[in-house]
Amino acid sequence: MDPLLYVFDVVVYVGIFGMLALSLNLEFGFTGLANFGKVAFFLIGAYTYGLLSQIGIPFYVCLIAGASISAAFGFLISLPALRLRADYLAIVVLTFGEILRLIVKNEDWIAGGDWGISVSRAISLAGASPRVNALVNIGLVYLCLGICFFVLQLLANSPYGRTMRAIREDEIAAEALGKDRAKYKAQVFMLGSAVAGVAGGLYAQYLQCVLPGMFMPMVTFTVWMMVLLGGPANNKGVLLGAVLVEIFDRGANIAKDYLTLPVDPANLQYILFGVLIILVLFYRPQGLLKESPVTTKALELVRNDRSAVKSNGKQ
Amino acid sequence: MEETLLKIREVRKRFGGVYAVNGVNLDVKKGGICGLVGPNGSGKTTLFNTILGLHKPDQGTIHFNNNCINNLAPHQIYKLGLGNAFQIPRLFFQMSVLDNMLVAVRGHQGDKLANSLFLREKWQEQEKGMVEEALSILELVELDKLAFSPAGELSGGQRKLLEVARGLMAGSSLLLLDEPAAGINPVLGKSIFQKLRDLSRNGTTFFVVEHRLEILFEFASWIYVMDKGKTVAQGEPQQIVKEPAFYEAYLGEG
Ligand SMILES: Nc1ncnc2c1ncn2[C@@H]1O[C@H](COP(=O)(O)OP(=O)(O)O)[C@@H](O)[C@H]1O
Ligand SMILES: [Mg+2]
Repeated sequence: MDPLLYVFDVVVYVGIFGMLALSLNLEFGFTGLANFGKVAFFLIGAYTYGLLSQIGIPFYVCLIAGASISAAFGFLISLPALRLRADYLAIVVLTFGEILRLIVKNEDWIAGGDWGISVSRAISLAGASPRVNALVNIGLVYLCLGICFFVLQLLANSPYGRTMRAIREDEIAAEALGKDRAKYKAQVFMLGSAVAGVAGGLYAQYLQCVLPGMFMPMVTFTVWMMVLLGGPANNKGVLLGAVLVEIFDRGANIAKDYLTLPVDPANLQYILFGVLIILVLFYRPQGLLKESPVTTKALELVRNDRSAVKSNGKQ
Repeated sequence: MEETLLKIREVRKRFGGVYAVNGVNLDVKKGGICGLVGPNGSGKTTLFNTILGLHKPDQGTIHFNNNCINNLAPHQIYKLGLGNAFQIPRLFFQMSVLDNMLVAVRGHQGDKLANSLFLREKWQEQEKGMVEEALSILELVELDKLAFSPAGELSGGQRKLLEVARGLMAGSSLLLLDEPAAGINPVLGKSIFQKLRDLSRNGTTFFVVEHRLEILFEFASWIYVMDKGKTVAQGEPQQIVKEPAFYEAYLGEG
């Protein structure tokens, strides 16, 4: 195969999983909501896209619909989140993802069961070469990624972002300071799920199919890896995490086309992932990039004044 | 007659089989500093947490500004103008000292999801005044130099000061302070009370638990005494020291 296509493939994966990492970062990194069911919302976005595009609905509508339905499920999941302790919530959401996967797997009438359904490309150019098709995909994915990154950065650097962090640090204190934590958590879950839904739609059209096998719990753990490695509460950090993990992950997949190893590379990869997570948590619990503080104009003004005073003082 | 800001009647709060608050009746009048004293374990902190909505009272009624607040969530009570500083600081440790202060702002436009994205010019402008206010309060407690340090890097005494400063931030009409001078050097402790007195002249009312009676009695206009979960005496500071119930509360069990 064209070696450049391998590179393009990694680039697309980084973009799609980067969006998942941003969405988990919003929930876990900033707000402290441990969502161990990320893949559920990825699945909802993908199946919504697949089913709607089959009946000829334009791709952007399919993406928006996937985001909306995923957000609605995010809202539903946030309801137990308010009542349950964090560890119970983790189990509820993890189970939710598996149940959804088993439903689409066993209910053939929804989307072909195990065989899945095929999905057409979002943008198909007549007679385009595989390289051009890959580039079109890269353009589409990175446009969506860029929008998500931009919006989530605005959010992180606002009073809303401050409240998200406060809820993560001590939700009782935040509540006693006038923050309706139930409302914030619901909104964060909805927004995070919407982003994951878009990523799912993009994934479906990139692979041109949706199959239950694409939505194993491993997807969730891969995204967690990206966030923990890159640096929770740092959007740039988790994108860096996405790059590193994807190079590793896709690299191993590609390597197995060429290498003959005594063990199955897929299993080896799981073991290495596990080891990597343990190493990160031990030696760099804050991730590669540390949390980025809230930045607003008013805070910048004070900072600049202070550094001006300092440098004047030295003269 | 003076206006009653906080009215508590027959409030009881039980943990398991034990009443931590067992029949509290009190009125906090508008203006000035009202003190609440009593031995350790007499239920002062539990009473405060019940007023804040962090515990639901098992019995009794709590009125703030003539609204019954028994069944409101803490965030709703805060929005009505009732603020607080915890006895044991509950700071947002990974956030800067200044951000800890700014979380406390009431009605920050940018604290709503849509506004944070679409009304940026507006709240950015609004925030300048809030930052100034925060820095001036931080100056009072000598934390302004540390405004950009994470709250987790503060010493124990500084954490307490930040907790109190954050309480002062939001312009509450009634502020509950649970031992604001505990663990702070006496000079600074006294200057905090002086600041409270200044603020009380501008319309904030303070309801303060304090073990340093010499400071409290200098500044408070009215004192309630709690013992074993009950309010057992009240009066002006000069009078209260003559009350037998006051001595019994502190010395009764020897
Ligand atoms: N969350 C709780 N669970 C069980 N018991 C509690 C709890 N909080 C306080 N208590 C008990 O309630 C009583 C009153 O405590 P507290 O309100 O902290 O008193 P004070 O602030 O006057 O020292 C104590 O006996 C304490 O052990
Ligand atoms: Mg106490």
